[in-house]
Amino acid sequence: MSRASLPDAPGPGGPGAEAPDSRTPGFEVPSPGTPGAEVPGPGTPGSQDSGGPGTGGGAGTVPRVLVVWCPDWPVTAVGLDASVPAAVVASGRVEACSAAARATGVRRGQRLRDAQRHCPGLVVRDRDPDAEGRLFETVAAAVSTITPWVEVVRPGVCAIPVRGAARYHGGADRETAEESLRIHVQDTVVERGFDCGVGIADGLFAAELAARTADGGAIVPPGGAAEFLAPYPVTVLNRPELADLLPRLGIRTLGAFAALPARHVASRFGADEVRAHRLARGLDVRPPAPRPPHADLSVATEFDPPATAAEQVVFAAKTLAERLHEALAAEALTCVRIGVEVTDAHGRTQSRLWRYDGGVVGRGHGGETGVAGRSNGGEGGALSALAVAERVRWQLSSWEAPPDDEGVGGIVLLRLLPDQLVPDEGRQEALWGQVTISDRIMRAAARVQAMLGHQAITRPYPAGGRAPGERVVRVPVGDLPPGPAASEGRWPGRIPDPAPAVVHPDPLPVRVTGADGAPVTVSARCAVSAPPRQIEIDGRVLPVTAWAGPWPARERWWDPARFRRRARFQVVTADGGARLLVVEGGRWYVEADYA
Amino acid sequence: MDLVPVLPALRAVIPGGGLRPGTVTGVDGSTALALALAAGLGDRWCAVVGLPEAYVPAAAAFGGADGGLDPMRVLLVDAPGRRWADVVAALTDGCAMVIVRPPEEPPAPVARRLTTLARRNGCALVTTGPWAGAALRLRVEANHWAGVGDGTGHLRGRRALVTVSGRGAAGPGRRVWLWLPGPDGTVTVAEHEGPARLEALAG
Repeated sequence: MSRASLPDAPGPGGPGAEAPDSRTPGFEVPSPGTPGAEVPGPGTPGSQDSGGPGTGGGAGTVPRVLVVWCPDWPVTAVGLDASVPAAVVASGRVEACSAAARATGVRRGQRLRDAQRHCPGLVVRDRDPDAEGRLFETVAAAVSTITPWVEVVRPGVCAIPVRGAARYHGGADRETAEESLRIHVQDTVVERGFDCGVGIADGLFAAELAARTADGGAIVPPGGAAEFLAPYPVTVLNRPELADLLPRLGIRTLGAFAALPARHVASRFGADEVRAHRLARGLDVRPPAPRPPHADLSVATEFDPPATAAEQVVFAAKTLAERLHEALAAEALTCVRIGVEVTDAHGRTQSRLWRYDGGVVGRGHGGETGVAGRSNGGEGGALSALAVAERVRWQLSSWEAPPDDEGVGGIVLLRLLPDQLVPDEGRQEALWGQVTISDRIMRAAARVQAMLGHQAITRPYPAGGRAPGERVVRVPVGDLPPGPAASEGRWPGRIPDPAPAVVHPDPLPVRVTGADGAPVTVSARCAVSAPPRQIEIDGRVLPVTAWAGPWPARERWWDPARFRRRARFQVVTADGGARLLVVEGGRWYVEADYA
Repeated sequence: MDLVPVLPALRAVIPGGGLRPGTVTGVDGSTALALALAAGLGDRWCAVVGLPEAYVPAAAAFGGADGGLDPMRVLLVDAPGRRWADVVAALTDGCAMVIVRPPEEPPAPVARRLTTLARRNGCALVTTGPWAGAALRLRVEANHWAGVGDGTGHLRGRRALVTVSGRGAAGPGRRVWLWLPGPDGTVTVAEHEGPARLEALAG
């Protein structure tokens, strides 16, 4: 989404503030009142028709959102204080700068050379998106103590739904409830040592701008988003082309842009501009779903009698996840996060939000976290049912030892809620730079899975081992790939390349005999009793023309149950075949074929 | 319609330098050759249906510096069972190549349906089983293994004698020696060997 890089600091000093404070120099705050005055839209005589500002932005349609915004997060993430004149750069341009640097005239987008001219003592660091994502987890975790439904919009900005949270925090009316929630969230984050602004408004866009107003954020009353947004310049839409074009048409503020009739915008611009227009009008980017998605798309299963074994719940979770996925697919939606709610026999409910495109999921797998904050659980965007089941298992295991006395007493309800629904665009970032699975491939794979089951279609992932068959694991499409295990590194006794083109899933028994017709044996010291002269597979006798080996392998000698001592041979036969044979306990098998 | 690309070395056996979408290429006698056909796909996807024993990484280095068959772009359906044709039909949409071994010779209507779908989706079919309508048949007639002696060395490479037949073949009955793979792991055209030696090997 284009929101991923809103300008660094439209900053505090919102619409009401005539004089922006030191954190927002360069940001021109237009005086309110202009929007109504100039509406010279393309071919628009008047602006009365079709949903002007405020008309569609009723509190009922756009959800109330609280946004936590940590200023200059890229700078914070590299460990620099706001009082230090510092800039974070990428490819020679300033990506973010500290408040102190901004005071000297450093700006986002400036060339580093220019920035250093403005501020000779500038501390310069390379941008570290990885650290940004990782460090922001601290903030997200702090906010999640208030409500589990935390959405990390991007490192530096996270959002929670106000409904529910505000009700929980109480207050005589909406205003006091929201204000107490806002203060509570702000205190919680500041306690962790991060400066932040907190704003509440209808929809994410307005809420983020509200969070950036002076004095640590503001509350925009329901239905007031359009009015609140009106004085902002069109640049806050973060659409450079539009920000270039609109002022040339005399449209400088969101209010003026919003005043254009929607149908004129739609007829003259593309879908993205229509989205921007909706934003300017204080509406959510996406048209509000006709139904509240949570009520409609969540899936639940009851256990009667209560499930006492985790396995039972985990199994049900897999089926539920499949149902959820189908329901989402039917709506052409995908979800960024999935909420898992578990209710026990005592009526206690534990809910947790599992992210599918963020670092949270990665925490469970050591080593996954450091991927630019973007490791992902289910590849291809489709929620793998197994991946969901895995998370349910984690959640249950965290609940197994409740602080209080008598234990859980069985699970009566499991509910999965799709969270953060987004249109399914069939794109997902790859894990560790692995091959991204495209929407089209995912769809084809899903059709095969629908026919034959989840496990039926797999992808080969490298794994460690000596035998060719051990060097690959097949992972069902959509499932978590194995960790970067021992695939690298040396495997003494490994059969040298080339690899065989055929590895028999079940090794074929074979008889190997020497010149005298006696079976060839291999001693514990790896001495071959006689050179193999012929092999017999399925009654076919094949003379051996060349052979090599043995390659001994004492595998898993540390584990008596899985310990194996075997030896491998390469054998070329007169029919032109070359095979990899393995002998173990006096029995010979064809393990692989170089056919 | 764009051709499905093959490795430069295989242009000796594939007329036109690539496989036409919707055509069926039969490969007999060598799984490695079937995998080698997919080694020129680049960033396209490949599916392997009904060959649980096929070891995809074997073809990973077939292309040398250009890379080979990327195992990360391969989908495996090991046991499609009776629904193999539906599986192939689904996979033609998205994969540039589907390598399939049908459990039995596909009836004509099934084969027609699959080739039509494959043509529409830009997918080439490769089969290691019987397939009456195959435009091209590649057959490994003989192998000459290098590197192994009498209890010494290890396999380093092989020269395979590939014969080309079928109505799609430029010169039917064409015989080409290929390194499959060579000592460096790549598939290349092997220099010609004397006929006497050939016969001895084929014998």
